[in-house]
Order: sequence, then C-alpha cells, then structure tokens
Amino acid sequence: MITNPKKGISAFISDCARWSLSGGRGYKIYLLALLAVMGAGLFSYVKQFQEGLIITGMSDIVSWGLYISNFTFFVGVAAAAVMLIVPAYILKDKDLHEVVIIGECVAVGALIMCLMFITMDMGGPLKVWHMIPGIGLFNWPSSILTWDVLVLNGYLALNSLVPLYILYCNYHDREPVGWKYKPFVFLSILWAVSIHMTTAFLYQGLPARPFWNNPLLGPRFLASAFAAGPAVIMMVLIAIKQWSKYPVDIQIFFKIKRIIVVSAVINLLMLFSEIFKEFYTFTHHSLSAQYLFFGLDGHTSLVPWIWTAIGLNILGTLLFAFDPTKCNPRYLMVAAISLFTGIWIEKGFGLIIPGFIPSPMGEVVDYTPTANEILITLGVLATGVLVVTLLIKPALVILIKFKEAKT
Amino acid sequence: MKKIFLRSGLFFLVLGTVLLASQALMASGGSVMDRIHAAEEPVDTMGIESAHHLPVKTVLAQESYQGGTFRVLARKDSIMRFRCSVCHTDKKVLVSDGALFTHGDIVINHGRGNDRLACIACHDEKNRDFLSDAEGKQIDFDHSYQLCGQCHFRQKRDWLGGAHGKREAYWAGERVVRNCTSCHSPHSPAFETKMPATYSLPLDK
Amino acid sequence: MDSSAKKEDEMKPTDILEKKSTRRSFMKNLSIAAAAGSAGLVTGGCVSLGKSEEMGLKWEEYFKKNYRLMTQEEKDETVARLVRLAKIQNDADIQISNQEPRENVLYGYAFNISRCKGYMDCVEACVQENNLDRKSKTQYIRLFEMDSGQLDPTSGDGKYFHEVPVEGKFYMGVQCFHCENAPCIKACPTKATWREPDGIVVVDYDWCIGCRYCLAACPYWGRRFNWGQPEVPKEEMNTKQHYLGNRMRMKGVMEKCTFCVQRTRQGKLPACAEACPTGSRVFGNLLDPNSEIRYVLKNKKVFRFKEELGTDPKFWYFID
Repeated sequence: MITNPKKGISAFISDCARWSLSGGRGYKIYLLALLAVMGAGLFSYVKQFQEGLIITGMSDIVSWGLYISNFTFFVGVAAAAVMLIVPAYILKDKDLHEVVIIGECVAVGALIMCLMFITMDMGGPLKVWHMIPGIGLFNWPSSILTWDVLVLNGYLALNSLVPLYILYCNYHDREPVGWKYKPFVFLSILWAVSIHMTTAFLYQGLPARPFWNNPLLGPRFLASAFAAGPAVIMMVLIAIKQWSKYPVDIQIFFKIKRIIVVSAVINLLMLFSEIFKEFYTFTHHSLSAQYLFFGLDGHTSLVPWIWTAIGLNILGTLLFAFDPTKCNPRYLMVAAISLFTGIWIEKGFGLIIPGFIPSPMGEVVDYTPTANEILITLGVLATGVLVVTLLIKPALVILIKFKEAKT
Repeated sequence: MKKIFLRSGLFFLVLGTVLLASQALMASGGSVMDRIHAAEEPVDTMGIESAHHLPVKTVLAQESYQGGTFRVLARKDSIMRFRCSVCHTDKKVLVSDGALFTHGDIVINHGRGNDRLACIACHDEKNRDFLSDAEGKQIDFDHSYQLCGQCHFRQKRDWLGGAHGKREAYWAGERVVRNCTSCHSPHSPAFETKMPATYSLPLDK
Repeated sequence: MDSSAKKEDEMKPTDILEKKSTRRSFMKNLSIAAAAGSAGLVTGGCVSLGKSEEMGLKWEEYFKKNYRLMTQEEKDETVARLVRLAKIQNDADIQISNQEPRENVLYGYAFNISRCKGYMDCVEACVQENNLDRKSKTQYIRLFEMDSGQLDPTSGDGKYFHEVPVEGKFYMGVQCFHCENAPCIKACPTKATWREPDGIVVVDYDWCIGCRYCLAACPYWGRRFNWGQPEVPKEEMNTKQHYLGNRMRMKGVMEKCTFCVQRTRQGKLPACAEACPTGSRVFGNLLDPNSEIRYVLKNKKVFRFKEELGTDPKFWYFID
C-alpha cells in the first residue's frame, strides 16, 4: 500500500481512514450491508425518539429489555480484552502480544455498543448532560450507575489511547516507549475487572430483585465474560486469518482456546452452584429462576431460550475442551459461535428479564421485544461491528508494515 | 510484577472501603422509628390557614381526644325530617298518611341474627328528638357516638384515638372527624357489597 | 374552595416574567431570538409570535437547574414559564405551586387491612387528583384481594373486578411507601429523585433522564414510567398543581405517588385518604405525638411490608 510520504498526525489520520475503507468488492458489500442495518436501526430510533419508549416491548414490570441485556453482555466482551493483555504484557507471551491490539479493538467496539445501548434505553437522551459532573448533578458515590459511567468511559479511553499510541509509533517506524504506555496497560487490567464487577454490582446491589441480589453475580459475570470475550476475539482472528495477510499463528488459537476452556468451566460450575441454590430449597426468591428455567403461571417465553443457551454453553465448552482437529479454524469457529451465543442468551436477557419477573408485587407478565426494538438493537450491533472493522483494518496494515520494516 | 498485583489489590481494597464507608455513613441516619420516638412535643398546625373552613357543619364533641377537644360532623342537618317531634305528637294519623309516617322505607339490619334491634333500642321512647342509651340517658343526634359506643366500645375507643373512622378533609388544623353515622347507616351499619370504582391497572401495557 | 389556600398557592406568571433582572432578560431575549431564528429556518421565515415565545420558553426550560439547586426566584421563574407554556400549548389555565415543606412535619401513613373493602375509590381519586395518564391508564395505588391466612400482598389478586367485599377475603393497598432509606434515591444517577424534609420522596420530572434504575431498585413497585406522552383530557385536568407533584409529566420520565404534595402541604389529606369510604387510610404528622398516625403506631399492632430490606418505609399496616 502507498504510504503518505509526509508524517505526523494528519498523515496518520488520513492514511488510517484510507486503509480502513479500502478493500475488495466483498469488503465494500460487507460495509454497505452494515450501513444498511445501521440505517434501519437509525430509522427505528428516530421513531422511538419521537414517540417514546412505548414502541418497545418494555412495560412498568419488565422495565429493562433487549437494550440493557445486550449492554450487560457486551461489557463482558469489552472486559475480556484483559485476557489477552495479561499474558501479553505481564506473562510476556510473544504469540499473544501479536494479537493483543485486536483484542483492544474489539473492546473499543464493544464499549461503543455499550454506551449506545444505554443511550437507546434512556427516556430523555437529550438530558444526558444532567449527569455530567460540574454542569449536571452526579450522584456519586451513592449510585452504582455513576460508577458504571465512570469505569466504562475510563476503560474506553484506556483501550483506545494505548493502541492508538502503539500504532502511532509503529506508523512512524518507532518502537513505542515502554514507560509511556505500560502503566496504562496495567491500569487497564484492573479497570477491565472493575468494569465488569461494577456492572454486576448494578444488579447485585438491589435487594428488590432477589434474582440479582446474589454475591456470585460479579464473579460469574467475569467468568462468563472471560469465556465469551475471547470467543469473540477468536472469531475475529479466524476472519483475519481467512481474509487478510496478517499472520495469525496456530499457537495463538491454542492459547486462546485454553483461556476459554478454563473460564467456561468455571462459568458452568458457578451456573450449577446458582441453580443448586435456587432449587434445592425452593424459596420465595427462587420464583424468578423458576420463571427462567421452567416457566411460572403458564408464562414460559424464556424457557426454550435458556435451555438452548445452556445446551450451547455446554456444547461450546466441550468442543473447546476436546478438540480433535488440533485448532482447525472452522472447528474453532463453530465452537466459538456456540459458546458466544450460549453466553449471550444466558447473560443477556436470561439474566436481565427474569430479574423483573415476577414483579415485586408478585405479578408475572411476559416480555417480547417489538420489531422496532430489535431493529435498533441490530443497528447498534452493526455499528459495533463496523467500528471494530474500521479499527482493525488500518491497525493490521500498520503492524504488517512495521514488521516488514523491522526485518 | 508481584508488586503490581500487591498494589492493585491494595487499590481495590481502599476503593471498596471508601464505597462501603460512604454507604454506611448514609445509612447511619437512624431509623424513622427513632425520629418518631424522639418527637414528644405536640406540633401546632393551627397556623396552616388553608386547613380551616370546612364547608360542612360541625359540633364540638363531648369527649376528649389526647386531652384536647375535637369536633365531629353534625348529624341533625342531614336528617331529612328533623325535628321528629313535629310529627311525633299525640295527634291521630290518617290511614292515608300511614305510608309516609311509619318510616316504611327503613329496614333494620342491625344486630346479629334474630336479635335485630328495635327502634326504641336507640331512639328515645318519649322524646323523639333524642336518642337514649341503655340507662335511659337522652343523647343528642349530633353525638350519637355516645350511644353507639355502648356496644361498640372497641370501635369507639379506636375512633377517639384515630384508628377508626376518619378525619374530614384536613390532617392539619383543628381535629374534625366523621361521626359514626357519617359512614354507617345506623339502621343497617354494615358496608354494602358493590362494584369497585375502577378497574385495576392493566399490567401488559 | 377556601381563599387562603389560593393565597399561598397562586403564582402570578406575568409579574415574574417581567420582574427579571436585566441580564436575565437579555439572555432570555437572546435565546428567544436564537430559537425563533432556528424555528424560522424550519417554517420558512413566517413565525407567529406565539410560536417563537413557546420556543423561547422551552429553550430556557431545557437549561434550567435541578429543582433543589434553584433559588426561590428561579423556582418562581420556572413555574411562571410552565404556566405560560400550558396556556400556549393547551390553552389550559393552571396554577403550579412550589410550596416548601412545613417545619416539624414528617408525613406518615397507616392502612387498616381489616377495614378496607376493596372499593377502589382511592385509586379513582388518585387518578383524578394527580393527572395520571389516561392513555396508558397509570395508577399509583394497587389494591390486592387477599385470601385469609396470608399477609403478603404478592400472594394476593391485584386484578380483581367483581362485587366487593367478597366473604372471607380482605384487601390490602400498596403504593409508594416514601421510605426513609429509599433504594430509589440511592440508585438515581442524577439526583433527580430525593426525600424532602417532610419525608415525601419526589421526582424532579425535568431533571430525570429516564434510565429507570430507580424502578429496578424499588422493592415495592412504587414507581411508574412514562413510556409515551401522557394524556389527560383538558376538562378532566386538575389545575391545582405542584412542581414536584401532579403537574403534567412528559414522555420518558419517572413519576410516583407524592402523598399528594400539592394537597398535603396545604394541610389537606391526600386524595386517597379523603376518598376512602371506609376510613382504612390514616394520614398525619409522625412528629406530632397527638396525631392519629401516632395513635395507631402506639396503640395498634402494626407492620411494614418487606421491612427486612432496611428501607424504613413510612407506611404501616394495622389490624383493628
């Protein structure tokens, strides 16, 4: 590829923009498809903006739905970048160091989705300045939601600035200076744990909802995130291996696979522990779990979903644990998709919606997302995928060029 | 590397402590029961001007409430053919006026089973402008609680205190409560069954 | 109604709008001009005076502070703007009070479960008094028909509609309990909901961003969200409103029972307590040892719903 002869920030930006958009016909179609989905989402959002959240399937009983479910899940995906950062920077693993930047790009995409989902879910998005400290009122430290705002934005900053610095250096054929970014890498490790724990505390701290008011929620969030997140990263890596020139070593897949297996097994163990607690002595507080797993008062809308999720969870874990193909990308793709989907269902609406059912007054209603709601969700997902793509494309170009220059 | 983990652990510990301490601080305001028990001085709400001027007629009750006076809604104004002594004289009555004069519209459903109360169980036999209690003491219609309280002494005790019956319009200002007969028909005191005033909330949007 | 109530209540919108300092009026004119300009772009230059005034008022409303941070002057100004906006938009003549809490008053509520007959007059009165959305049929109060042998409303039937009372059943009302240690207040990220000194938990509708975290945090389901634009027919609207109480809400904000702040701060009973035909609802000042509510707490066996959650609600149930 042609590099701008001039160097500096403007050259860096223009080159990155060019590289991120250049590609074959397939790539163009892929981008257009994403834009189309985003357009549909935007159209639905305009409608929601005008008419209010009444166009969603949410009600006063199930007051959070698809948006917050996806938000919760993608916080996990964002946090999972740490599973590459720890081995790469702390354990000095050479293989994973090659791809750590991809993990960070995925994290940025996931965080942007999170922030968008939160915005979509707000009744007064124009009033969001009420939350900005200084001009608004920030209920910190009392409200866990304010903690979440802080940690999400902080993590977004860390995860975009560190790779940006590294790429910027590499773009100028320099090695990044360790002391300039390493402290932030270590900070981001702590921060990754904190974003997911804080998001768990958002739910865990509510005695009003016994389904969430459970000390295992935070740790289980982490375990499932460290399984689902690397699964996403693995899918991205397989795609990169398939469609780009960037070398992805088989060792990388092997190592990520090992991370996934350990996390997924811990996740399943904790899931079992929760199920045991809910059903061995069935209490008043187990009603939500009963609604989720078996249905309550004839309302069974989540039952097929959760059993599919558990099935996919176990299947994915087994596929990763016993890999007869020795890291065949296709095999891994199937395993990653099944685990990802399983955790997405289980930790997304499998976690959020039963928390509201039955209501604190004992009522059971079903929640079904409307077409508009689904379109908006898809639009946000497409935006996330687009962001990840547009970040990874130039990053890979810069990394390849830097490697070539070194050798 | 170990240092970093040590420090990070410490950082989280401090963070957690700060969070918990701040929460504990906020919760340490003491329960509302402590505040209630600590409040022993009567509060004068007579200054709330908007809580004066009831549009209905009241009379000073002949009982005391927490050592002070209170008012009850007047009854006599709402009795259509008061004063009773206008009709209840020794004059003879024409048969044609009988339906009007015999209170045929009144059904007594007061008292358990076959022990329905008779009219003169409450109304004074001699002076129809008054009620009379079991000892024959005349009781004004406006102060019927004195009569009802003979049997319903528990309800009367609660009513005097404020756990039975209700205040009229204002929580503040002079205490004005409803009379027994404001809510209960004296002849058929139980509440009737009826359809609710409205539907309850539809839960699925 | 009595004239004294009006005296405390009434705002003179025009006075306040005119009484502003020069700097503020300059700002206002500027913002009206800006708003008019932008409106002009949309409508092609032909803007009626009313429209531009509306835009200007809305513009100023958008940038106003949280109610608790406003000075008395600012409170009066926003009230004047809201009254004017209601006139422009709906041709409605409303009064909005910003009456402060009274000193030495802490409101409390007691509910007699052996007296309530389930007539639901309270619910109806609440809907009328508080301008609750007729379109989505919002209700703050819920009544549960309960089987004997149970005391937990979650086991009751909250959807009954038949002749009441039914033999062998009893009725239990639930609404916002105005907790002293309210989880909703703790949850709100913008301090848009708080407990007033007289114990009433209120929402600043204009400050609420609609995240619904408070709804998730409330163990009593005491909060309602405006999923769409709430609607109240003009002829049914209660025009005696309070900034923190029954003024018209907008879409995308939370609302809740305010113990009828517009009434109670004037010494009146909440609409539910006044409407109750059975005297099951006792309301009063918890700090006054001579109040009825204190009599109930002292002389009756009372309990609070889900007390184990540490919310410290100011709503007690009692039995004759």
